[in-house]
Amino acid sequence: MVLTENQPGPSNPLGSNAEEKEKDDRLFECNICLDTAKDAVVSMCGHLFCWPCLHQWLETRITRQVCPVCKAAISKEKVIPLYGRGTSKQEDPRNNVPPRPMGQRSEPEANVGFPGFGFGDGGFHMSFGIGAFPFGFFTSTFNFPETRPSPAPHGTPHLDDDTFLSKLFIWLAVAFIFWLLLA
Amino acid sequence: MATNIAAQRIKREFKEVIKSEEVAQCSIKVELVNDSCVELKGEIAGPPDTPYEGGNFVLEIKIPETYPFNPPKVRFTTKIWHPNISSVTGAICLDILKDQWAAAMTLRTVLLSLQALLSAAEPDDPQDAVVAKQYKEHPEMFRQTAKHWTSAYAGGPCKMPELDEKIRRLTDMGVDEHNARVALSSYDWDLERATEQIFS
Repeated sequence: MVLTENQPGPSNPLGSNAEEKEKDDRLFECNICLDTAKDAVVSMCGHLFCWPCLHQWLETRITRQVCPVCKAAISKEKVIPLYGRGTSKQEDPRNNVPPRPMGQRSEPEANVGFPGFGFGDGGFHMSFGIGAFPFGFFTSTFNFPETRPSPAPHGTPHLDDDTFLSKLFIWLAVAFIFWLLLA
Repeated sequence: MATNIAAQRIKREFKEVIKSEEVAQCSIKVELVNDSCVELKGEIAGPPDTPYEGGNFVLEIKIPETYPFNPPKVRFTTKIWHPNISSVTGAICLDILKDQWAAAMTLRTVLLSLQALLSAAEPDDPQDAVVAKQYKEHPEMFRQTAKHWTSAYAGGPCKMPELDEKIRRLTDMGVDEHNARVALSSYDWDLERATEQIFS
């Protein structure tokens, strides 16, 4: 870790070391309990907290969820956990706190060389357009993968929503085709 | 458990505030009233170029069990003439002590905010309607009155013989000095109306 504030200490090297150590510790203080952050999380606006502290703050102010430091809008889903190297499996002394949110990993975007009919490169998406029957096939046949957002990362509520929605639409499409055939 | 967080945080803040440069400049001060970290005594110096300059204002600070998730309860124990502070109870109207509180704020930032409030009153969001009205309608009268209160209660340097004389006229009639001051201040130092109000 490189600290920009590190400056050559005064004459007493021991004293300055202790002082610097204290300074280093303070860099990682939770903004709520002012202790070194445990189960550290960082908000999108860059402020560091213990997860139990931030959780309690968000519970206290359910209608007005803002960062305790800069008052930017924050939410439980949008904090990032910090995993330092020395992290051990410490049990959180405060109970009744849900676990820290998971870290979100999105896969790097696949680099598609030919920006057209992207079959084969993992860029194929099924979709059903709403429109006149024959044209609907065009929308599902000619896909432009980079115009769609990447699928939600694993283990998030978004993924569940996505799978639910795609199942729903498949059933709707099947029902629609049957209706067309019968009519 | 919550009390524990509150007490621990107060101890940490206490260390921080003692080391801060504002304390070195004697502009703010915090003291423990007892060892429980539930009640504290704060002090702020009246900011320069205000009617409060030279005064020293004492605050009562009560730390709730849910601190720092809820704001500390603060009121002035030194009597003060200010639109956002009750001249009777010392209650303060300041957003950060209510809904705008944030958990990262500390005793130090609260005291500095109060000092800023003394420099910049918000007469449109008053705590003391009488003071706020005077502040808006007779700004010079307000300044005189605030200066006078600073000298009477906060050890301010400015003596104002003219105002003191009016108070003495009332105290000679057996009126309590503070009541006389309140009545005169509320009636823009009109001796007749103040007398009328006191004896009605």
